[in-house]
Amino acid sequence: MGVLFDWKLVFSQIPDILRYLPTTVELTLVATFIGYAIGLLLALVKIHRVPVLRQLAAFFISIIRGTPILVQLYITYYGIPLTLKYINLIHGTNYNINSIPPVIFAIIALGLNQSAFDSEIIRAAIQSVDNGQLEAARALGMTGGQVLRRVILPQAVTVALPSLGNSLIGLIKGTSLAFTVAVIDMTAQGRILAGRNFRYFEAYCSLAIIYWVITIALEKLFKYLEKRFSVPEEAPAAEKKVAGLIRAFRASRNAAPRDGLKLPEPEENV
Amino acid sequence: MSYIEIRGLKKRFGDNVVLDGIDLDIEKGEVVAVIGPSGTGKSTLLRSLNLLETPEAGTFKIGGETYQLTTKKSAEKRALRQQTEMVFQQFNLFRNRNVLENVMEGLTTVKKLPKDEAGRRALTQLEKVDMLDRLHHYPRHLSGGQQQRVAIARALAMEPKLLLMDEPTSALDPELVGEVLVTIRKAAQEGNTCLLVTHEMNFVKSVASRIVFLENGKIVAQGTPREIFDNPQNERLKQFLNKINMLESMEYVI
Repeated sequence: MGVLFDWKLVFSQIPDILRYLPTTVELTLVATFIGYAIGLLLALVKIHRVPVLRQLAAFFISIIRGTPILVQLYITYYGIPLTLKYINLIHGTNYNINSIPPVIFAIIALGLNQSAFDSEIIRAAIQSVDNGQLEAARALGMTGGQVLRRVILPQAVTVALPSLGNSLIGLIKGTSLAFTVAVIDMTAQGRILAGRNFRYFEAYCSLAIIYWVITIALEKLFKYLEKRFSVPEEAPAAEKKVAGLIRAFRASRNAAPRDGLKLPEPEENV
Repeated sequence: MSYIEIRGLKKRFGDNVVLDGIDLDIEKGEVVAVIGPSGTGKSTLLRSLNLLETPEAGTFKIGGETYQLTTKKSAEKRALRQQTEMVFQQFNLFRNRNVLENVMEGLTTVKKLPKDEAGRRALTQLEKVDMLDRLHHYPRHLSGGQQQRVAIARALAMEPKLLLMDEPTSALDPELVGEVLVTIRKAAQEGNTCLLVTHEMNFVKSVASRIVFLENGKIVAQGTPREIFDNPQNERLKQFLNKINMLESMEYVI
């Protein structure tokens, strides 16, 4: 052992750790997707006050929010094999417990955890869209699905983006717990490297740098998305998409005299 | 047989009977104005016809079809809603879409028109409400009057058989009321059949072909503007007109 703190190693082992970035990204993306999908369902159940399901949703969210993510990971890790064993016993089936890759446990635990937190964000965002617009959409004759897709979700996304960004950053850091259920992600790889040379402090410094950089990148991405999705501050200039259409319309109108509003027109008194 | 027939429309909120058996006929091209004290169900009448409220009873004949207003089937509801269009007090434009997209939305999503055709129809309507120079503005960039004109274009683009207008100028600053009234008058003159709730009595006088006086959920009196304003027969109507200072015999001594 030469130096007390090998700062060169902090940077030189980063590529070695990054080999497992795909695992971290996979965990994050799939858990995020599960989180949004189930979160949206939970939010809709809560908003529409579906009987029975609403109580179940509240119960589920309460449990998830009331227990540590580490405990949830262990519960899935030990609980799912136990359930399979039970099913095998009852139905005489022969599901192989050991064939389940550990990453599945991590994905399920993280995904469910995300869904509980995201459902509240999504619910608040959906309810922020004012009822008048929904009435207008329904009055036009839109179906419930069309109202959701065309009116509610595009506006809810703008409202939810900052909070969803925070939640995603939380999740990325949460994936570092996946090593506890035998998934080899970046954190697990850092520990493995450190196990070889006992440079634990250096390994965790490398990990800190990696997670920090990823988080900064995500923050920037969400800032950009937020700007992209929100209604511009200033009235925008003409858009190219429909320019041809408008030009054709104006051309067809130049022939006929234009019949716009004449303002102001005094109100007549009968 | 009238163009539009509303029969036995009833609606209550809890114990409060808001509409107590409304029968109303509207002919094609007619502009019918609903007036009456606040809380008598004027808005509820309009909203029930578009099923934004669910009435307890009533049928609605429009465009040769008779609809049960109590229907629970969403396909029937949508079929009925496409016969009428609504202009709201609060405009209710889609805030995440610009002027052109707001008018095109129903045409592409509900009527499934191709983009070009929807765009042409939208532009035709937007020209009529004089909003062609604001096509790419979003609702937040527009004044209340401009938003309401776009909302009228959005409704008319769907070519409804009946245009419902629920206090279209009540949320506007006084100086913006004029431009919206001009727009509505134009829509009326072009032969659109309208059912209108408003407090603009002078406007009603000059535009409506018929006035319906609603009180306590019932149609108490109806007639031409001249019959209603110049020669009201009904005692309740007289009181109402007195209150809103529209009876010509009224004189104030200050």
